[in-house]
Amino acid sequence: MDAARALIGVQLRIIRRDPWFLVIMFGMPLVVMPLFVKTMKLSLQAEGFADATGAEQVVPGQVVLFGFMVSGSVAFSVFREHGWNTWDRLRASAASPAALLAGFGVPWVLIHVFYQVVLMVVGGMFVGLRLRGSVIAEFLVIVAYSVCLIALVLLFTATFRTINQVQAVVNLGAMLFGGLGGALVPLEQLPGWARAVAPITPSYWAMEGHRAVFLEPGGLADVAKPVGILFGAALVLAAVAVKKFRVDETKEFFA
Amino acid sequence: MLVATGLTKSYGDVQALRGADLDVTSGQIVALLGKNGAGKTTMISIIAGLLKADSGTVMLDGFDAQRDLDRASKLIGIAPQLTGIYGVLTVRENLEFFANLAGVPRSQRVAEAVSVAERLGLTELLDRGAGKLSGGEQRRLHTGCALVHQPKLLMLDEPTVGADVATRAQLIDFVRESAEAGSAVIYTTHYLNEVEALDADIVIIDDGQVLARGTRDELVEQHRMQGVEFAMVEDLPPEVVERLGATTTDASTYRIADDIPVGELVGKLGPLSDQLLSVETIRPDLESVFLAVTGDRLTGAEEGST
Repeated sequence: MDAARALIGVQLRIIRRDPWFLVIMFGMPLVVMPLFVKTMKLSLQAEGFADATGAEQVVPGQVVLFGFMVSGSVAFSVFREHGWNTWDRLRASAASPAALLAGFGVPWVLIHVFYQVVLMVVGGMFVGLRLRGSVIAEFLVIVAYSVCLIALVLLFTATFRTINQVQAVVNLGAMLFGGLGGALVPLEQLPGWARAVAPITPSYWAMEGHRAVFLEPGGLADVAKPVGILFGAALVLAAVAVKKFRVDETKEFFA
Repeated sequence: MLVATGLTKSYGDVQALRGADLDVTSGQIVALLGKNGAGKTTMISIIAGLLKADSGTVMLDGFDAQRDLDRASKLIGIAPQLTGIYGVLTVRENLEFFANLAGVPRSQRVAEAVSVAERLGLTELLDRGAGKLSGGEQRRLHTGCALVHQPKLLMLDEPTVGADVATRAQLIDFVRESAEAGSAVIYTTHYLNEVEALDADIVIIDDGQVLARGTRDELVEQHRMQGVEFAMVEDLPPEVVERLGATTTDASTYRIADDIPVGELVGKLGPLSDQLLSVETIRPDLESVFLAVTGDRLTGAEEGST
């Protein structure tokens, strides 16, 4: 795991040197959040949450939606190594596929967690998001969602040959999973068929966890199921990614 | 240090290596000489563990390098053909990262990076972004990243491609110094003057096979050729070919073993000299050795590498 540790360090350094994508990804949900607070307040009150501010849906929803797009960066990091001709140098270290995927995945899990935490805090400061349940439970939901998404995108990375393919799938996934999972509007407003398939998306379980601590005074036991499912899915996705990942396959970055 | 035996590798229908052997001892420089597509890159990629051979063995310091890639990676430093560095990091950060990747302890990384930078003339640039370096400086950094962990076997794949004259000279000196310090060096190239400057043991590889090996003088002695090679617009009549004592080497291209002046050749061709396209003198040098061994000139190699 020496190679993984070395890679984690250098990836974090590279991301620090070129943070503009992240800056934009922080800005976009912050612009969107205030626009929908009032509408979501009415929607949540209609659901029976009389003292809801609307932020309980909007802030976690935007975090879940844009978080999916941020997770695509882990694929970008791997493909970029091919564009920079450094991939073979990494491989020459005899690092295993698992070590390489960990080296790229761990920095993005950390960043993804940081991204969600910052947006939640800002949501609390500016659009009235209040935590009614356990802060530790909320943090677990955040971490589980990050780990699950990064594992999913690593699987995309192992599967697809070009960065354009991965980006297309990530963008599609963000909208589809976000919509189905109740990140855009509360699940109760979706048609029956959408509610039926929603549990196959990570967004659904992340929103379930967020609702437990933002709309209700949920604790660890209340988020155990969504967190467990997200971590379990992450484990399966990461295992398949490691199995599928062919380190000698040439990936195509932007030509 | 390295004994590679019977290496074969195919890419689909293309057989890149056909039972190639290679051995290198500590302190020795071996120049792999061949056209693009001859199998040079495939061979060193297999030795470095970047490619799996279809068959054959790679023994490194007595152990099977293909079975113990981790141990082998600590002994091998490879600078692939294409420049691979992190442009957003400084020279120092690049060197320290690759040292870290190779398992160099934290306490030694800084010193190793400084030492390698000094040897490659990059000391003044240590804290400059690698993306802001000139092409030649990037090439030197690229090479430096391969040896920051002091490998016992250094493999440089066409290290001077695209480099300026000063960088070429610097890299050649550096390779010689590395060998003098005890590293075994495999250096792939298709520049004959570099092979001569390195005073390397030469391995001529063509079509995936090692065709000849020796020092420059040994190869010239064994495969010396001289004469004249000339090309015509159209094929010469057989009786003219016979009268000239020529052999056909390619379409409308002929070789005469005697080193005759161009004027004499023109005279011997008579009226057919109007169709003479080019004349080249073949001297007993490395170029002629390559011609004799492979049947082709080293120059004019097609693009692409295998």
